[in-house]
Amino acid sequence: MTVINRTWDRLTLPGKVVFTVLPVLLALLLALVAVIAILGGTIVDILAANLPIVRFVVAATVILLMTIPTAFLLIYMEMKVIALMNLRIGPDRVGPFGSLLSVVHGLKVLMKEDFTPTGADPLVFTWAPVVTYLASVMTLLVIPFAPGLYGQDFNIGLLYFFAIGGLSVVGLLMAGWSSYNKYSLLGGLRSAAQVISYEIPLTLSVVGLILLAGTMSLNQIVLNQSGWFSSWYVFQQPLGFVIFFIAATAEGNRTPFDLTEADSEIVAGFATEYSGMRFGFFFFAEYVNVFILSALTVALFFGGWNAPFPWPWPLTLSLDPGGLGIELLILVAVVPLILTLIFATPFWIASSRIKSWQALLGGFVLANLFLVGLIVAGAYISLDWVAGVLWFMGKTYVFVFTFVWMRGTLPRVRIDQLMDFAWKWLLPASLLNLFVTAAAIVVVNR
Amino acid sequence: MSLIPGLGIVSGMALTLRRFFEPKVTIKYPEVRLDPPHKFRGRLQLLYDEWGTLKCETCFQCAQACPIECIDMGGMDTRGRYHVHWGAPETYGERREESALRRSGRTVPDPAYQPFASIDLTAVDAVLDDFDRDPAHMLEILEATQATYGYLPVAALKRISNLTGAWYAMIYGTASYYRHLRFEPSSATSQAAAVEAQRPAETTYLAAFDTALGGAASATGGGRRTSKPRAQA
Repeated sequence: MTVINRTWDRLTLPGKVVFTVLPVLLALLLALVAVIAILGGTIVDILAANLPIVRFVVAATVILLMTIPTAFLLIYMEMKVIALMNLRIGPDRVGPFGSLLSVVHGLKVLMKEDFTPTGADPLVFTWAPVVTYLASVMTLLVIPFAPGLYGQDFNIGLLYFFAIGGLSVVGLLMAGWSSYNKYSLLGGLRSAAQVISYEIPLTLSVVGLILLAGTMSLNQIVLNQSGWFSSWYVFQQPLGFVIFFIAATAEGNRTPFDLTEADSEIVAGFATEYSGMRFGFFFFAEYVNVFILSALTVALFFGGWNAPFPWPWPLTLSLDPGGLGIELLILVAVVPLILTLIFATPFWIASSRIKSWQALLGGFVLANLFLVGLIVAGAYISLDWVAGVLWFMGKTYVFVFTFVWMRGTLPRVRIDQLMDFAWKWLLPASLLNLFVTAAAIVVVNR
Repeated sequence: MSLIPGLGIVSGMALTLRRFFEPKVTIKYPEVRLDPPHKFRGRLQLLYDEWGTLKCETCFQCAQACPIECIDMGGMDTRGRYHVHWGAPETYGERREESALRRSGRTVPDPAYQPFASIDLTAVDAVLDDFDRDPAHMLEILEATQATYGYLPVAALKRISNLTGAWYAMIYGTASYYRHLRFEPSSATSQAAAVEAQRPAETTYLAAFDTALGGAASATGGGRRTSKPRAQA
């Protein structure tokens, strides 16, 4: 006993922590394995019996979790892209090329004081950011990311999208009204006016597309656009796309229609009284909104997860790694070594100044990149949903970039110009688009 | 207002996209430090040489080059012979008038300037007429003036400035730059004159000395006793 005591006393603090935590983790792991071994079959049975519920819970969790890195990525993109457009370098201190700066931003927001002004309605004040954020996130449920990769395939998916997305107005109004501040109130009313006004052309611009598609299920709409890119709806509904994109910009409170929360001005509209993580939620909601609107644009007008052209030489990988038997193990052990050596040789040949460990490290990194590339390529070929997600994300981020690009370019409009544009231009144009589409359908189908 | 609505937006977007790919102007300051511009002089300061003497030669080139005329300076010239001055004497009003004068290209009347010996200026005028009063031939003018007077009197420089229209500071700067131009009679001339002035007394003394010794001094002196100056009649 004394030996154990003595050894324990000689440990430094980190050592004590490690030697406490490690056994606990080990015990937990063993317990988990035991639980799986004993109850695994039953649990799987229960889950399989309630598959829709499981699917919903998993989808909701994944979507909620997905918004955080998405928002971080978008915030980083916005900072970096606008900086590059301003001939600046932008964030470059935290992480590679400053890519962790938005994470640090998030931590900063978490550490700030969470302040509720005197006279504010605490309940409404607290829930306003939640409503805004959830209204954005819940719309993600119906967006098809890849074949079979969606939260729910409603047959009224688009309607659901606009209905839930419209709820964000409620959040904005709640925030403005409960802050007990005339600037917040004015900002909230103004943003409500803006968002409601633009909701009309936004929805109307899609009605023509719904007539064409004959369905409101987003998954079905995407399926309709498969094949060559000429079947994308943007070519049948160009006016609808333009109206939709402009209205989406206003709906997402993005420049040039970002009067709601004009960053460059002193009073931050409806969010004037918000601080800390509550403000962070508004912020998050804005960026998630950008992603969602881009994703919806892609799903509706740009073929969703469809590649722009069908791959002319269909490839199928018939890999059967299990058939190799024991040789598979040898392969797994040997191939990385050989690849590392192969990729390290150019470094050795290139310069005698490069030390061997540096060459080996470079070779290791290159070999890893090569292997990851191989795996992604293999997955792209053999797995439908990988290809779908890649195409969908690629297209979506093109539109995200466009939103950021617009923010880096365009000045903000005045509130009267904003309203004029919605009611005098976008609404008639979307009605025109609807009537022309309907007439064309009637003529063609007759 | 272009004919096609929205064209301005498109060209603006194109501009920002071009900027996106252009090289960036940011300099990561603590890591990267630019060389100072080659005309950068830092804080203006008068330097001392290793004997503790001001290195400033009062050539006024700094005051003359200063675009906002913020340099006032005055002092003795390098040899400590006479006063030179550039810039405003005391008051702002005078300073402003001076600036106007200077910009108009005329010489600035300088009340702080001490009177200098006036000399006969006809020789300078002749030299200036030879060179057509052209300030482009300043060096030749100065050389000719020095050839006439043996040195460059201040009055002559003033006269040159007046007639050519060149700034006095410029002429002074030119004159003080070249080693062969001088502002006072050359030392060779002045020493020879001093020696000549001493000679009658020395001759008288030597003659008296010779008489007292009965002619021995002239006989024994000369070659052997070198420390004693040789008497010359």
